Amino acid sequence: MTAVEPRSDSTVRTSKRTEILEARPVNLDGFVEEWPEKGLVAMESDFDPQPSVRVEDGRIVELDGRTRDQFDFMDTFIADHAIDVDTCEAAMATESVEIARMIVDPRTSRADVVALGRGLTPAKILDVVKLMNVVEIMMGIQKTRSRRTPANQAHSTSAKDNPIQVAADAAEGAVRGFAELETTLGVVRYAPLVAIGLQVGGQVGRGGTLTQCALEEATELDLGMRGITAYAETISIYGTESVFVDGDDTPWSKAFLASAYASRGIKMRFTSGTGSEVQMGNAEGRSMLYLEIRCILMAKGAGVQGLQNGSISCIGVPGAVPGGIRAVAAENLVASWMDLECASGNDQSFSHSPMRRTSRLLPQMLPGTDFVCSGYSAVPNKDNMFAGSNLETDDYDDWNVIQRDMQVDGGLRHVREDVILQVRNKAARAMQALFAELDLPAITDEEVEAATYANSSDDYPDRDVLADLEGARSVMDRGITGIDLVRVLERAGFGDVAENYLKVLRQRVSGDLLQTAAVLDAGFVPRAAINDANDYAGPGTGYRLTGERWEELKKLRHVTSAENPEEEVV
Amino acid sequence: MTTANTDLTAADYPLSVNRPDLLHTPTGKTLDDLTMDAVVAGDITAEDLRISPDTLKLQGQLAAAAGRRQLADNFTRASEMTAIPDAEVLDMYNSLRPNASSAAQLEELASRLENTYSATTCAALVREAAQVYAARNLLAEEA
Amino acid sequence: MTTTESVRTLSLTEIGPAERGTRPDEVVIALSPAFGDPFTKTIVDVPHAEVIRQLLAGIEERGGSARVIKVYKTADLAAIAHFGAKLSGSGIAVGVLSRGTTVLHQRDLARLSNLELFPQAPLLDAEVFRMIGANAAQYAQGQSPRPVPTRNDQMARPRWQAKAALLHLKEFDCIDKDRNAVEVEPVITKVD
Repeated sequence: MTAVEPRSDSTVRTSKRTEILEARPVNLDGFVEEWPEKGLVAMESDFDPQPSVRVEDGRIVELDGRTRDQFDFMDTFIADHAIDVDTCEAAMATESVEIARMIVDPRTSRADVVALGRGLTPAKILDVVKLMNVVEIMMGIQKTRSRRTPANQAHSTSAKDNPIQVAADAAEGAVRGFAELETTLGVVRYAPLVAIGLQVGGQVGRGGTLTQCALEEATELDLGMRGITAYAETISIYGTESVFVDGDDTPWSKAFLASAYASRGIKMRFTSGTGSEVQMGNAEGRSMLYLEIRCILMAKGAGVQGLQNGSISCIGVPGAVPGGIRAVAAENLVASWMDLECASGNDQSFSHSPMRRTSRLLPQMLPGTDFVCSGYSAVPNKDNMFAGSNLETDDYDDWNVIQRDMQVDGGLRHVREDVILQVRNKAARAMQALFAELDLPAITDEEVEAATYANSSDDYPDRDVLADLEGARSVMDRGITGIDLVRVLERAGFGDVAENYLKVLRQRVSGDLLQTAAVLDAGFVPRAAINDANDYAGPGTGYRLTGERWEELKKLRHVTSAENPEEEVV
Repeated sequence: MTTANTDLTAADYPLSVNRPDLLHTPTGKTLDDLTMDAVVAGDITAEDLRISPDTLKLQGQLAAAAGRRQLADNFTRASEMTAIPDAEVLDMYNSLRPNASSAAQLEELASRLENTYSATTCAALVREAAQVYAARNLLAEEA
Repeated sequence: MTTTESVRTLSLTEIGPAERGTRPDEVVIALSPAFGDPFTKTIVDVPHAEVIRQLLAGIEERGGSARVIKVYKTADLAAIAHFGAKLSGSGIAVGVLSRGTTVLHQRDLARLSNLELFPQAPLLDAEVFRMIGANAAQYAQGQSPRPVPTRNDQMARPRWQAKAALLHLKEFDCIDKDRNAVEVEPVITKVD
C-alpha cells in the first residue's frame, strides 16, 4: 500500500541525504497506486467507454457505446439537454487530434471551438483532452475561459463563528481584490449573523463584492431570498447515478433548483470535481476525469451559468495518483470549453509541500480563470471552516510577488497597512452599530479594537455564544432582510456602506448577475462573458496585464526606490 | 412600461446600465425608484427587490444571443417560477428528489405548475423526470 | 502513530449467528467485512487487536459488558452500527470500519443519525478508542457522558484521503451479500 511514513526501521543504514529527503514535507503527502478497475485513476483508463453517438428522429439514441435502453439517468440528461442534436454527428466525426489542435491554435477562435464542443459526448471530450499535455491544457484555458478579465474568490470564516472576525476579514479580502467572498459555519445556527458580517465587511472593503454562505440547500436559498447573501455555489452534482442518488438529488431536481435561484434573481453555480465518486466507492469503473466531464455536461444541460470544479474537497484523491493534477487542470479546461463560468478549485488544503502547493496552482493562475481560487482562505487556515485551503492569508505576499514576477493577474494586489487597518476597523464599527440598532448582543469597543489588528480568532475576545445564537434566531424570526440592513446602516451613519449594499441588492432586479461569469466591478458595472467576453486570439490579444492595473501590481510590501535606494517605495 | 418584443443583443448588456428603461420590479417600480431616500422612508420592501418574469425573459434573449441555449431555457423556467411562493418552490424541489414522490404525485406537481402557475416548461421538466424516475426505479411507493 | 514493541494479533472466532442480546447494559461492537481479516490495522497502523482491546477495556472500566459481531452484507458504517444497535441489549453499539472510522449508535435513532461520530480515522489512536468504549458503556447504562473530544487536522486530506478511498474500495470488495452477520469471540495474542 502507501509508503508515506518515514522509514522507522533503524537497523538499515541510510545515507544522510536520504535522511534529509525523508524529512521533507512532501513525504508527508499521500500517494497511491492506480486501480483503474475501480476508477482510482485520473484520466487514462482502459475501462472508460469509446466515443460514439447516433441520432434518430431528432433524438440521440446512442451515447458512448450505450443505446437509449441502457442509459442511466446521466446519459439521458446529457443526451436530451446538453448535446446539440443537430451538430453532434458532424462534430463527433472530427478527429480528436484535430479538435485538440483547434483548442490550442490561436487562429481558431473561441467561438468556433465552443460551437464544436456543443456536439461532443463525454467520451469524445475525454479523448480530446487526453491528447493534451499540461501546457496545452493551460493554452486551452487561456482561450476558452468565458470572462476576459480573471478574478478570485475568498473564504472568510471563523473557527469561533465570530461575525466580527468574518466582517473584518471580508473587508480586508475585498480591499485586496476578491470579487466574491464565501463563508460557512461551525455551528450552523450562527449563519444569519456570520452571513451579515460577510456582506457588511465585503461592502466596506470594496463596494460590489458578492457574498455567499455555504449551507444546506433550503437555508442557503432562504438567506439568498432575503438578500442577506448575493449568490450560491454549494450545489453539488456527481458523475454516476448511484452517487448522485446518495446525495439525495437527480439532474432534474438540481435543474429545478437552478431555475429557482434564477427566479429570485440570485446568481448560482454548481459544484463538482474529480475523485468524488471513487471516494464514495461508486465510480462504476470509470476514470475520475470521465465522470467529471459527465458532471460538466450535466451542469451545461441544466442551464446553470457556471461550475465550481477542480476536484474541490476530494483533491487528496487525484492528488495522490499519477497525472492527477493534470486531470484537475483538464477538468477546468472542459468547464471553460463548455462555455461555463469556471471557479477553478485551489480551495482546499492540498499538500504539506509549499513547492507542490504552488505547482498545483500554476495551471489555473498562469492562464487565468474566471475565479483562480474558488476559495482562497482570507483567514488563517486554522480558522477556515471549509477545512483549509491551498492558499491562505500567510501567502498573500507570495501571491503578490508571483503576480509581479510573471506579470499575471491573479485578482489580488498589495494594499498598504493603513488602508487595511482602516477598512477592518470600519467593518467592525459598522457591525457594532448594526448590532446595536437591531438589538443584537452588543459588540464592545474592545472587540472593534481586536478586529482592527487581529490575525486569527484567537486574537478576539470570546463572544457569548448562546446570546449570539439567540440573536441569530431572532434575525430569522423577525424576518430581517437585506433592505432592513441597508436602512439600519444608513441610519447608523454608515451611508456609503449602505449605498454599496443597496446597489448590490438592486442588481437582482436587473438580473445582470445571472449571465455567465458575471461579477461587479468597483463602479458596480456588471462584467460578464457578454460585455467582457474573452477575446484571446494569440499573442498580443485577450486580457493583458498592462496600464494602471499593472502599475498597481508592481507594488509590494518592500520595493527599493530607484530614485532613492536608501528608501522603499510606499 | 415598455417590454419590447424586439430581441436584445450583446450591446444591450448590462441592462442595468444600458437599458434601465426596460427594467421594472414585480411591484411596478423602476431601478431609479430604488433610492436610499425611498429605503429610509420605508417605501422599499423586499418585494421591490425581486426580479420580474419579463426581466428574466430579456436576460433569456441575451443568453440566446450569446449562443447559450440551455441558459436561456433556464431563464424561461425561472420566469415561470417567479409566480410561485418561496416555500412552495422549496417544497417542489424536495418532491423532485429521488424516491420522494410517486408517479401520481409528480403528475400532480406537473399539473399544478401548469394550471396554477402557467409554468408549462417547468411542468415539462417534471414530467420528463417522472418518466426517467420510473425507468430507473427512483419513484416512491404509491401511497 | 502507534508503534508497539510487542505486536498483538487478533483472530475473530465465529461462535454463531449474531442474535439479539438481553443484557440491559451490553454494548455491541459491530465490525465491518474486512475487519481483522484480511485487514489487520487501521489507516494509521493501529492494530485491529489494539482497537478491540481498548474498546473492551473502556467498556469494562465503566462497568459495561460487550459482545462483538461481524457484518458481511454492507460496508456502510451507519448501516453496520445501526444493525449492531438493534441487536444490542441496551440498544447501544459501536460500529468500526477496517480503516478505523467509528460511530456510536443507538437503536432508536435514524440510521444516518448517531450519538457520536469519529469520521477522521487518521486521528483515532488507542486512547481515543478507549474513551469511545467508556462512553458506549455509559450510554448503555442510561447516562449522558461528555462526548469524546473531537480532533481536527487540516492536513489529513493531503496525507490520507486517497489511502482512505483505497481502503474503502478494498472493504467494498469484501462485502458478501449472502452472508449473515455472526457473533465472534475476539482472541488477542501477544507476539514478542
